[in-house]
Amino acid sequence: MLKIKNLKADIDSKSILNNFNLEIKPGEVHAIMGPNGSGKSTLSNILSGKKGYKVSGEVLFENKNLFELETEERAHKGIFLAFQYPLEIPGVNTNIFLKTSLNAIRKANGEKELDAIEFLKLVKLKAKNLKFDEEKLNRQLNVGFSGGEKKKNEILQMSILNPKLSILDETDSGLDIDALKTVAAGVNSLRKNDNSFLIITHYQRLLDYIKPDYVHVLMNGKIIKSGGPELALELENKGYENFN
Amino acid sequence: MEEQLKIDFEKLLEKSNFSKKNIEIKRKNFNNFIEKGFPNKREENWKFSDLNQIISKNIKNLSFYNDLSKPNKIDQSTFIAGLEHNKLIFVNGRIEKIEFDYEEKNNIEILDDLVLEKPNNANNSLLFLNNAFVSKFFKLIVKKNYSLKKPLVIYNITNKDLVSKSVNLKFDILLEENSSLKLIEFSNDKSTTNFININYNFDVQKNSILKNYKIDNNSNSNIKYYFNNISQDTNSVSEIFLLSSGSEFIKNEINCNLNGKYASAFVNGVFLLNGSKHHEIKTNINHLVENTKSYQLIKSVLEDESKAVYQGKIFVDSKAQKTDGYQLSKAILLNENTEFNAKPELEIYADDVKCSHGSSSGSLNEDSIFYLMSRGLNYKEAKKLLINGFLLDVVEKITDSEIKNLIKNIMSLKQ
Repeated sequence: MLKIKNLKADIDSKSILNNFNLEIKPGEVHAIMGPNGSGKSTLSNILSGKKGYKVSGEVLFENKNLFELETEERAHKGIFLAFQYPLEIPGVNTNIFLKTSLNAIRKANGEKELDAIEFLKLVKLKAKNLKFDEEKLNRQLNVGFSGGEKKKNEILQMSILNPKLSILDETDSGLDIDALKTVAAGVNSLRKNDNSFLIITHYQRLLDYIKPDYVHVLMNGKIIKSGGPELALELENKGYENFN
Repeated sequence: MEEQLKIDFEKLLEKSNFSKKNIEIKRKNFNNFIEKGFPNKREENWKFSDLNQIISKNIKNLSFYNDLSKPNKIDQSTFIAGLEHNKLIFVNGRIEKIEFDYEEKNNIEILDDLVLEKPNNANNSLLFLNNAFVSKFFKLIVKKNYSLKKPLVIYNITNKDLVSKSVNLKFDILLEENSSLKLIEFSNDKSTTNFININYNFDVQKNSILKNYKIDNNSNSNIKYYFNNISQDTNSVSEIFLLSSGSEFIKNEINCNLNGKYASAFVNGVFLLNGSKHHEIKTNINHLVENTKSYQLIKSVLEDESKAVYQGKIFVDSKAQKTDGYQLSKAILLNENTEFNAKPELEIYADDVKCSHGSSSGSLNEDSIFYLMSRGLNYKEAKKLLINGFLLDVVEKITDSEIKNLIKNIMSLKQ
């Protein structure tokens, strides 16, 4: 599904990622762990198409060169980024935003757009599953939401858009243990044979609830070790500093 | 221009049937205008909008005499659909229709044979011009305890027959005690390069409510000046909303005197400009007695090389304790060649007051755009959604829900 070969990324002539390689197959859950400044967020930004980076190397998504696609085209093809810091958008109603987003993606894929009633039915169901306060959907997008609500809102969007590849950028940060469990359950319910996940995190805590197939350790812009879920526990015990 | 002015003024006096008293006042005003001329940037009030220069740049051979003897055809397609309303229709500056179908006739009155008064703002040369050249001067009286059942729409329609003319209109509106009026001023211009000068005087008496919505949304090359003078008595409310968008140049000046306790004034507005358009809102809110309130919110979205100016002044008299005054302006500049000028002024002589002001301008937040695009919206859609949200906030301040929806439709705002 996703093949990254020899990815290099600079910002303001500072090297962030270097010789980065990763392959994710359909149905797999990969976790990337790394200390602050190791390049985790840069990776998620580059995959979802944020401008401002100088990149080289190759990133293929379902055998398409990702660098040739605009941000919204990547979303249409099924890439979703759950933001580390979801933005507050004043004046934009959450429900209207969700509907606009879903229908933009459906339209791009030649599917019928949902009308207001069909959409509300869908969103109600998804919100209920995530224990997301429905009343919040009628408010301005993320405005006045708590940190946990913003993160839940990201997962709600993910479950409505049903992407092929979901990138979770430190979704666990700022969540209390109950919210963490709900979010993890939400992610797990989306796991299917053809859906993949890339989970970016500092801690192995989230991985107690979402079992990854592979764990990678990212340091100084490249993966220095890959393994199974046990690698996360090893990291937790040793800490990043003593890991090498 | 002076020669032309003199010829046109004499022609107006000769062709019209003004009373002796009015001719005398008109001559005074005319001489005052000749002496002062069009305002220019050396005057503080006009430093961001040099009208003299704007007129000479945009209008070739401006003429001041406007033949109003023949009726004009009313283009009914310009009427607001889906809203039951009373109508006052001006075409090319001539009154063509007065229709109050929804109202009790004994509770409203329209006068058009009035004696001009000396302009109350002695420094405003455009009021001199207006008084000198206005042909009929109207007054609408809403009687005590009467609320108009439907909004009144004043249509200011111009068609392609009107070219390079100076059009002057003057309108007084008196809301007697405990009355109310919803007034929509709706411009529709198919004319080119005219100078349109409109003077409104609102007298809002005790417990009365004035809601005034000024809509200028059709692109045209006219230059416009509105002077709105509002005088408010005890416990009265004025709510003004401006959609300033269509004409090449507009300056909307609002002078509001809060003369009675518990009077409140709300001025909300939107500048939506593109091309080389240049619009200004200048307010003077004068808190003259205790316990009065004012609130102003102006939002701008500027494209191409357009320019917007907001000069908002809150004056608090030494008697006006417990004043609550607020003003805020926000602008989104979509292009580096656009310009937004804000000049907030607070002049306060009382010590127990609550007054604040703020202003911000900048481009659209790129991170917000990225967020929306990562959810499948293209750049254009993301931008539109953000602007929609930015503007909705001020349109939501409109308290009449029917008119609010009308204005949302006119602005193509969603939700």
